[in-house]
Amino acid sequence: MADFVRTYNAVLVFMAINGVLAFSMYAVLIAGQLSLAQAAFASIAAYTSALLTINLGLPFPLVVVVGVSVGAIVALLLGLPVLRLRGVFLAIATIGFGEMVRIVALNLDITGGAIGLRPIPKVVTLWQAYLALALCACFFWRLRPSKLGRGLAALREDEVAARAMGIDVVRYKLFAFTVSGAMAGLSGVLFSHFTRFIAPGQFGFERAVEALLYAVVGGTGHWLGPVLGGGFLTFLPELQRQLGVEAGWLRPFYNGLILLAVVLFVPGGLVGLGRPLGVSRRRRFGAAEKAAPSVEAASPAGPSGNGPLVRLEDVGKSYGGLAALANVGFCVERGEVVGLIGPNGAGKTTLINIVTGLTQASTGVVEVRGTRLRRTPANRVTSLGVARTFQQTKLFAHLSARENVAVGGHRVARDTFLRRLVFVPGARRDEASDLARADRCLAMVGLLDRADEPAERFSYGDQRRLEIARALCGEPALLLLDEPAAGMNHVEAQSLADLIRSIAARGVTILLIEHNVRLVMRTCSRVLVLDFGRLIADGPPGEVARDSEVIRAYLGTSADQPSSVPEAGP
Amino acid sequence: MDGLRWIAILSVGALLLAACGGDGGTSPGAEGSDAAAGATDTPSQAAGDCTLDEPVKVGVVFSQTGPAAVYGSTQLNGAELAAEEQNAEGGVTYELIVEDDASDPAQGIPAFEKLINQDQVSIIMGPTLSNTAFSTDPVAQDAGVPVLGVSNTAEGITEIGDYIWRNSLTEGQVIPQTIEAAVGAFDLQKVATLYGDDDSFTVSGHDTFVAALEEQGVDVATTQTFAKGNTDFAPQLTAARDADPDALVVSALAEEAALILQQAAELGIDVPIIGGNGFNSPAIIEQAGEAAEGVVVGAAWNSASDDPATADFITAYEEAADGAPDQFAAQAYAGMNLIAMAVESACSAEPDAIRDALGGITGVETVLGEFSFTESRDADHPAVVQIVEDGSFAILE
Repeated sequence: MADFVRTYNAVLVFMAINGVLAFSMYAVLIAGQLSLAQAAFASIAAYTSALLTINLGLPFPLVVVVGVSVGAIVALLLGLPVLRLRGVFLAIATIGFGEMVRIVALNLDITGGAIGLRPIPKVVTLWQAYLALALCACFFWRLRPSKLGRGLAALREDEVAARAMGIDVVRYKLFAFTVSGAMAGLSGVLFSHFTRFIAPGQFGFERAVEALLYAVVGGTGHWLGPVLGGGFLTFLPELQRQLGVEAGWLRPFYNGLILLAVVLFVPGGLVGLGRPLGVSRRRRFGAAEKAAPSVEAASPAGPSGNGPLVRLEDVGKSYGGLAALANVGFCVERGEVVGLIGPNGAGKTTLINIVTGLTQASTGVVEVRGTRLRRTPANRVTSLGVARTFQQTKLFAHLSARENVAVGGHRVARDTFLRRLVFVPGARRDEASDLARADRCLAMVGLLDRADEPAERFSYGDQRRLEIARALCGEPALLLLDEPAAGMNHVEAQSLADLIRSIAARGVTILLIEHNVRLVMRTCSRVLVLDFGRLIADGPPGEVARDSEVIRAYLGTSADQPSSVPEAGP
Repeated sequence: MDGLRWIAILSVGALLLAACGGDGGTSPGAEGSDAAAGATDTPSQAAGDCTLDEPVKVGVVFSQTGPAAVYGSTQLNGAELAAEEQNAEGGVTYELIVEDDASDPAQGIPAFEKLINQDQVSIIMGPTLSNTAFSTDPVAQDAGVPVLGVSNTAEGITEIGDYIWRNSLTEGQVIPQTIEAAVGAFDLQKVATLYGDDDSFTVSGHDTFVAALEEQGVDVATTQTFAKGNTDFAPQLTAARDADPDALVVSALAEEAALILQQAAELGIDVPIIGGNGFNSPAIIEQAGEAAEGVVVGAAWNSASDDPATADFITAYEEAADGAPDQFAAQAYAGMNLIAMAVESACSAEPDAIRDALGGITGVETVLGEFSFTESRDADHPAVVQIVEDGSFAILE
């Protein structure tokens, strides 16, 4: 063993250093952000730390702290402008940043330009490198089941839905970016204080791609992935050396071949190979299952002040020349079940998006629980006690039903990550209670027995019910349901009506948008009708059904028989 | 799980990180000077009389993949040719253990550690690139294993320690001679310079050129730069042409060098082009063809020498490998022969003995000409200034 460690010391250290870099990539990937600035963060930290060591002779632990902080701060500063970009645009912007850093390092005198910086004392030992790796691994091990970790996973799955659940998307992205920068910085400090020499070329685009490869080959589904990915790809040249593959073009060729095989045949990454061996997601929720779900009502958020829950006055919304809404005004009082109907294109979804803060009204006043919405982000509206479902279901497809619902409880859950990180037992209790709350909501919609299945496996009707459970978990005062019965058959719609009534019976105010007029008539105490962006009727169901303008809106003609209001949607 | 226990473990870990901080410099290599003092007492035998039972293990780290593979492949040919010739002579035989550093310091370090710890080689030849050497050579220095660089031209390589040697002339040794000869031949008043500003090799080459030009009183009319991987040099070359220089001084790697020559010819630049070490390969002449005519380049090896050793080397090389040898091949060939001289004069495969014997090498005949190591373990041998004539290198008169 000692012999092995001595012979392979450098390879083992590089495995750890690259593992740390892989974790920095993992940090952004689990939040769904494809950033390729990791090599640049590592570069900045490597140069800063090396200069501190060479010029000031600072002690290594202090240098590590400075390097990590520099990485984190630079990432935070870069994150502020670029995190509004998504997908490939974020990748391009961060590649651009990496190139900038490389060019600056090439042209500054203090970095030694293209000649590089040396001699940096070699201080990193094997155990230090692995301690750093272990700290990163521990961070993500503790992160995943926390509220923060769940929020990041939700963000990765669907940003709009995550925001609607009350997650402050910008803060969460910045968190992921900053953690990524800190870990990249750590890898840069370790690298420079192990190789004794750094040059700009070592932190270029290729290094950024390597970081991505480590993370992807290792797998982003589990916190051990980066350890495996960084370790495996770093050991590969050494492995080939030991297997007697002659130095030369064959080694990079085999590297490429193995890479291709892993990506093609082990899509979850190397860590996916361990799944059947028991690293399953089911086990992680053992604690929650013990906390037997008592099927109790999700208690609505306590009343805040008097007055209507929602008040709209003269609200208009136009897209270019097209007026989606005009002069809409109504109130929703506490405890009401209000239906909102209207033909396709009447502006129903626009209205619900305005009330939840996903879009801003062009004119007029929108108040939710006494708070006037002016460019108020959706997550802030959610924190006022508003929850919603979507017309096209927006579940977090790869998360389990229980996790989906638990994300919905974001507004009322306490953050547990920092306490988890230092193993404070209270965190565990809070998490158990969050999951128990999620289980109660699942029980309400009758899906508790399938709590561990990923949402993507649910049928369409069940996905709708799951969305309702998710919305309920935030213990909202106001629940907005956007066409919950769309695509449901008669029987499913019937049980949905029962569900809506039982939710209302618990004191939750409901705004129901539906095409299924029969469902609306059966469940609502009051009905609003929109047509071409105007509110044409507002009253009890019976009255509205007889309203001649409503009938004309639906049938295009004035009808004699009020009962001929259509019963089904599109 | 017991939370407090974990807190304790983490705290201990943090302390450990702090405690290990100061450690690192100490290693067996630090006692190198004592070993050297002892080794000088060993009676040395005249070269050729020595016989060792075991083959002497020589580690060879050249870049066979990555950007520097162009140089690494001919280096390996040169080293292997010399080892074969030495083995054929008998007495002492050599086993080359070849590793690839993939032009990457991060792969060079494990290669060095493997050669030192696992193969326990007597000496290491390489690595190809100076950048890699800055990371790898301290490993050998710490372990007390001598290194002979055969292509490292950057300043500061041998300053890494007293186990680090090289037989490659630095740019600072070759370039002033080149400029001096070119000034004499073409009566240069002002020149334009062009260099890659993102590579340590081309940047230091350019710096050395500028210093040498200044010394000779030649003005630099314009300085143009490009980046690694560029393929279009028309803007820079046009600007250089418009400055109406007496010559164009170019510091570029082989890949860019051939393109620059071709495009300069297309733009009608007919003044002499003076190149750095990157131009020092027959491959450039092959790629640039007609456009390479008249290129002036300083070299550590005179391929047109009348010395029979050079002619023999070229013949043997062409037989063993495909194609003509370049300077890198010659330097590796000479390097292996210098190692053999050191081993045989010490008559030992001990790293310390070899290191001491290297210090005793002065005025020996190599394919590079009469060769000595300087006090600072650098190379001392005549450089040549070459000009491309009729598709091959000739001495600039």
